[in-house]
Amino acid sequence: MADVDRVSYRVGETVILDDVTVSFAPNRFNVILGPNGAGKSTLLKIATGLLEPTSGTVCYGDRRVGDYSAPALARKRAVLSQRVELAFPLDVEDVVLMGRYPHYGRTPSRRDREIVSRSLELVGMTAKRGQQYPTLSGGEQQKVQLARVLAQIWNYDEPREPKYLFLDEPTTSLDVHYQLHLLDVARGLLDYDCTVIAILHDITMALQYGDVFFLMENGRVAHEAHDAAGIPVELVERVFQVRASRVTDPADGQGLWRFSL
Amino acid sequence: MPSRIPLPPRLAATIVAACSTIVLLAACGRQGDRHARDAQERRIVSVSKQINEFIFAIGADDDLVAVDLTSIYPPEIRKLPTVGYHRALSAEGIVSMKPTVFLTDGNVGPDAVLDQLKKVGIPITVMDPGSTVDSAQMLLTHLGEFFHREQAADSVLAQWKAGMTQLWADTANWAGESRPRVMIIHFGQIANNYLAIKSGSIPDRMIHWAGGQNAIDSVGGMLRLTPELIARAAPDIIIATDVGFDRFGSAEKFATLPGVALTPAGRNKRIYRINEQKIMYYGPRTPAAVRELHAMIHP
Amino acid sequence: MLRRLSYGQSYILLGIILAAALVASAGIGAFTFSPERMFRYLGEGLGWIPSVAADDLGRNVFLKLRLPRVLVAGLTGAVLGVSGTLMQGLFRNPIVEPGLVGTSAGAAFGAAIIFVFGESTALSFATPLGSLAVPVAAFVVSFAATMIVYRLSTSFGKVNVFTLLLAGIAINAVCAAGTGFLSYVARDPQARNITFWNLGTFTTADWRGVELIGLFFLICFVWSLRYGKSLNALMLGESEAASLGVNPERLILQLIIVNTIMVAVATAMVGVIAFVGLVIPHVMRMLKSADYNFLLPASALFGAITMEVIDIAARVIIPPAELPIGIITAVIGAPVFLWILLRQTRSGSVGFYG
Repeated sequence: MADVDRVSYRVGETVILDDVTVSFAPNRFNVILGPNGAGKSTLLKIATGLLEPTSGTVCYGDRRVGDYSAPALARKRAVLSQRVELAFPLDVEDVVLMGRYPHYGRTPSRRDREIVSRSLELVGMTAKRGQQYPTLSGGEQQKVQLARVLAQIWNYDEPREPKYLFLDEPTTSLDVHYQLHLLDVARGLLDYDCTVIAILHDITMALQYGDVFFLMENGRVAHEAHDAAGIPVELVERVFQVRASRVTDPADGQGLWRFSL
Repeated sequence: MPSRIPLPPRLAATIVAACSTIVLLAACGRQGDRHARDAQERRIVSVSKQINEFIFAIGADDDLVAVDLTSIYPPEIRKLPTVGYHRALSAEGIVSMKPTVFLTDGNVGPDAVLDQLKKVGIPITVMDPGSTVDSAQMLLTHLGEFFHREQAADSVLAQWKAGMTQLWADTANWAGESRPRVMIIHFGQIANNYLAIKSGSIPDRMIHWAGGQNAIDSVGGMLRLTPELIARAAPDIIIATDVGFDRFGSAEKFATLPGVALTPAGRNKRIYRINEQKIMYYGPRTPAAVRELHAMIHP
Repeated sequence: MLRRLSYGQSYILLGIILAAALVASAGIGAFTFSPERMFRYLGEGLGWIPSVAADDLGRNVFLKLRLPRVLVAGLTGAVLGVSGTLMQGLFRNPIVEPGLVGTSAGAAFGAAIIFVFGESTALSFATPLGSLAVPVAAFVVSFAATMIVYRLSTSFGKVNVFTLLLAGIAINAVCAAGTGFLSYVARDPQARNITFWNLGTFTTADWRGVELIGLFFLICFVWSLRYGKSLNALMLGESEAASLGVNPERLILQLIIVNTIMVAVATAMVGVIAFVGLVIPHVMRMLKSADYNFLLPASALFGAITMEVIDIAARVIIPPAELPIGIITAVIGAPVFLWILLRQTRSGSVGFYG
């Protein structure tokens, strides 16, 4: 359970988050939606513990985020960003190994290396493990980052500990194949005591993959919905300043949105 | 740091000999040493151009095995290998010459070199030429004793003294003449710029004897030249040392140095060239050098 | 070639090359020593075998001049290599020199102060320190310069890397101006001392230098090994590193301290040597890996090798005189640096080494 309790964030006079309280659903794909400037990124950063709110608290389970030591926090939650700049010629394997840094001191154990292999397998990059990271395509690089992030929160034979995977618009600038692959993998984690909290820019993708939706507007959570159908059309139209209509896919009954200005 | 005060010859020789022996004993841990005993085989490394000129003057150059880069007089000295610039020496380079004595006027660098030579057991002899003609003449005498060429030293000394006496006589005559303002411009190769000789220094004294007065009033060694400085000094005559003069090649071209053209010396093209080694220290060539200067000042 | 070896095997290979370079460097110069003679001298010096009096000169030169010099050269190379690696890791910038944050320039300035004023009565407090005055002064000024740069670029506990680099350039300029001014007012021989100091030399190396540089290098090097993981994580960016549990501000401060201590002590003893810290890590990255766990020991070893080779060159180019080290490192280092720069700009977005 990740709980954000009465969190505000101010920079000088500007209020970016205004008294936000949310409870992210455990073992579910939580999606934060909203237009640019609504405060999504800030909320996510505060939820990861990387940014201190001006007021309010964030708790994982019954423990405040601030009470975790940096390595312990790193073992609890991982963050996948939009694009990670890595200009140095590290091997793919070495990049994924970084995910295990919070887990070992000087030398990685055999289990650490196994986890690296399993993570690479999961994202389908095993064949390229010895290749240099900068030579990969954008989509492949992001898969490697995902593998790293998976390795970071992987704990497969410890007692089932809740983990959190934060995704900060990780599919921006990826083509559709990589987008789907990445989100598939993320969804797969839900069966392993992992809570996913994501910001996705593509509303259709978001609705397709998400379980729980938080619609933000002007620093507040305007609406919380526990299924895609539960999002009011008028709200979407107001928040995003578009005309929206919901369509049902005859093939599987899935809801799809159509937008126009 | 070895003492720079010139000592009476006997005392100096005794101290030098004592130190050398102690150093050698300390290095070997035994009484006596085959280097010191082997009086025939002397290998001297000397890194002072003044001392080297004197050594050649008394015919003691057989014992020299290496000199420094700036020792270029007399011309035969160039046949000897050099151990580098006297302010950038390497102890190993000196030791590789297997010297029995390292001879210097005290002006060596880097500072650690002397310590390193001591560590390896190389005897060091420091002979300070001092700042007067008398002290320079005493240096010649020391060298005569050091190299066991006292007779040759005495004869050179006698000639030198006679030359100086003659010179004083002429100087007394010249004193009646007018005293033009003279500036000696030297070229500093390390800092790559021109320098003016200040009052109180050896070249300044020579100018004075030669019948001129130093256009620079301040006392000391050398002053970095600026166009303003030159203009304010307003020398009637400029005497440039060889390296600096040769960079321009002629008096006309030298006058293009910023500020020089505006001086009386520049306007009248009274710019002359003199070999640096003749005026930077006192030696047997001093009487001739002063006359050469006089000829430039009062042609 | 190195790529196919494991880290451990790479270290062994570099170690073997270093041993060869050490033996070569110890044997070549105004005096030439064969390896047998050198080991005999070592044995005699340690008291294991009795001394041969006839060879006193050779033994003294080897044990008191050559051997400490060779060790100081190697240690300095290691210091500069590790320092360059730390700086490049810290700033994620390949054009970073150990001297960029004012460390080398400050050390040179401190040394210049002692050269010019050390003998005057005004600074008589320097004389009790004797010949240690120069290294101590260099260290003090170097550390002060580095801390000023650090303070200027830190606000509210966060370090701004751009400000750090700019402040470093400014402090470097101030120190260079100070040194320049001192060489202007200095009497001729003192001015020459400063000039030669700025070019770097191992000529005056002695056993005390070996002890000092060796001691501080070992301490700082072992300390820096703890940061291999953090430096790697930092390559992903500060926020990624933070989410992996790395604290960038603390890391920067600790690494600056480690770097300054090492470089100040070495610079105080041998003068300013440029480009080594810049080039060594690049070469190691190109040959094998950008992993800092590898780069730190590898740069130490390769830095030592490079410095030995350069020192040999310094001794054989104009015998029996010696060329200042800084001249050789500049002549070799500058073109290499430009080549690296060219490769980087050509490869553009593909990556660091394309």
